[in-house]
Amino acid sequence: MSAALKAEAGSPAGTTRWTGGLAAMSGRNWVVPGFLVIWTLIVIVPLVVLFSYSFFETKHFQTVYDPSFDTWISLFQSGRFEVTLRSLRIALTVTAIELLIGYPFALWLAKGGTTKTTKAVVLALLTIPFFLDLSSRTIIWRAILGQNGLVNSILTGTNLIDAPIEWMLYTEVSVHFGMIIAFFPTMVLPVYLAINVIDEALIEASEDLGATPFQTLKNVIFPLSLPGVLAGIVFTLGPALAAWVEPSMLGGGFVNLLSNSIESAYTALKYPVVAALSTFIILLLAVLLIIMLLIARRFGDLSSTFRVLKS
Amino acid sequence: MAISEHTHLTSTTTPQDRGEWSYWSGWKPLGKWGGLLMLFCIYFPLAWLALMSISERPLSGIPLPFSLQHYRALFADTKWVEPFGASILIALLVGIVSATVATLVGRALPRTRNPGGLLLLFLLPLFVPGMSLGAALFIFARSVLELKLGFWSIFIGHFVWAFPFSLLIILVLTTRFDNRLIEAASDLGASSWRSFWDIEFPLLMPGIIGAGLFGFLLSFNEVLRTIFLRGTEKTMPVWNWIMAASQQSQVPIIFALATIVLLVTLPLLAGMFWLVFARLDKS
Repeated sequence: MSAALKAEAGSPAGTTRWTGGLAAMSGRNWVVPGFLVIWTLIVIVPLVVLFSYSFFETKHFQTVYDPSFDTWISLFQSGRFEVTLRSLRIALTVTAIELLIGYPFALWLAKGGTTKTTKAVVLALLTIPFFLDLSSRTIIWRAILGQNGLVNSILTGTNLIDAPIEWMLYTEVSVHFGMIIAFFPTMVLPVYLAINVIDEALIEASEDLGATPFQTLKNVIFPLSLPGVLAGIVFTLGPALAAWVEPSMLGGGFVNLLSNSIESAYTALKYPVVAALSTFIILLLAVLLIIMLLIARRFGDLSSTFRVLKS
Repeated sequence: MAISEHTHLTSTTTPQDRGEWSYWSGWKPLGKWGGLLMLFCIYFPLAWLALMSISERPLSGIPLPFSLQHYRALFADTKWVEPFGASILIALLVGIVSATVATLVGRALPRTRNPGGLLLLFLLPLFVPGMSLGAALFIFARSVLELKLGFWSIFIGHFVWAFPFSLLIILVLTTRFDNRLIEAASDLGASSWRSFWDIEFPLLMPGIIGAGLFGFLLSFNEVLRTIFLRGTEKTMPVWNWIMAASQQSQVPIIFALATIVLLVTLPLLAGMFWLVFARLDKS
């Protein structure tokens, strides 16, 4: 404490107490351990509680604290299993399409001879959506894809079709569509960051040695960008598995996903079911991540990228 | 005939020509325009939202005729004011707290023994889906600690979400920070607060502002976690959500409100990016 006091004593009038404390605190290095305690309390402990809660049950609107697998078993019964499979299928489809569009785009952005300004503008455009309200961004699609919406008005107005297309809204198609648009930045940004740090000399060397562009992509660029691809998949798959705004607003009640189950369990005060479903999503994500890491190990050396990050 | 011609071709070509299809000049534009189309799909609805908010029938395909009736309805109906205020208040708090904490932690983290592991721990909320984390905090606070949810729980949920982003921004600057500057300052007799305030703080300033703005905006638009943690409070995105989910007649008012928020948010974001990119370019 004496350092802080001395610091304050040496400060001219008008300096607030906390700036003196601030400088002294980091000198003592208890900032990180101290914050770690708080962080454990608000992140780690709740996640552990969530996990353990999934082994309880609800009877007569009361949580029964008697550990069992009953709640977990109920996840794989009746209609809920169908919902799980549907969520998984939609999330994987969305992630695959995302990768298919996102990877070439990230490649173009990082190595396609784009100017610094173009890069900055595109990166900004990719980041801004994170800060915009997802529900109002999604609900507007109703006015575009709906029966009397913009697309149908144009198509019928120009006599291209006689009757409005109905499958564009409140179907699985629209849910896929909404999710693909919403999660595009989460795929492109990590992939871009990974491709961007690849040494240009490696690509040139590959070309000089007579590799076709595809061979360069397959043998040089893709293995080196793998960590970014993995990060992109995790950041897309996670929210896609737990997507709630898109299926509710564009699914029109016809496309029920895990998140809808969580919400209805929450409304019905079935907290163990909420816990089990939420844990299930986290576990699913963890398992997929481990599988991908194992596959990735066969393709390239992941640690090389961590070295790049450190430097 | 065709087969023999084909084999003839492949036998005489050099190895470079084997993957001829991969030399197609269309691949690059394809990658470029595919992504730009997605960007269009992200931003066109925003423009359409703004346009339809001044349309008489916002859910139809034709914006005409224009009318300001939904804005009038918005200002006549004051139910949105309270959630709006709550959102601003929580977002301000989240912005200030995450910028401050991220600065403290971001300065100390590179000097710890295991920065990589700690960083992963602090970035954990990025990997956990929002709904799961919201549910976790909810069950912990409501069922285990039996606390009454409200402002504070929304704040914690938002802070947990915003902090990793703020920390990353600060770390970009602190990991590049030249510690010799601090050493030089202390050699010249500056106290630790003085070298922080006069040297470190100005250099970290763009990062701190960026971290605060990130925190503010992430909190201001958060839905998934708030749904669980709100108790009886309502933030604006949640209010939007409830209105949109329950009554189609309320949708035009949401359009108007969302447009106003966009008109405030977008210039703020543009300014922030200009600040971050322009300042980072210089250093």
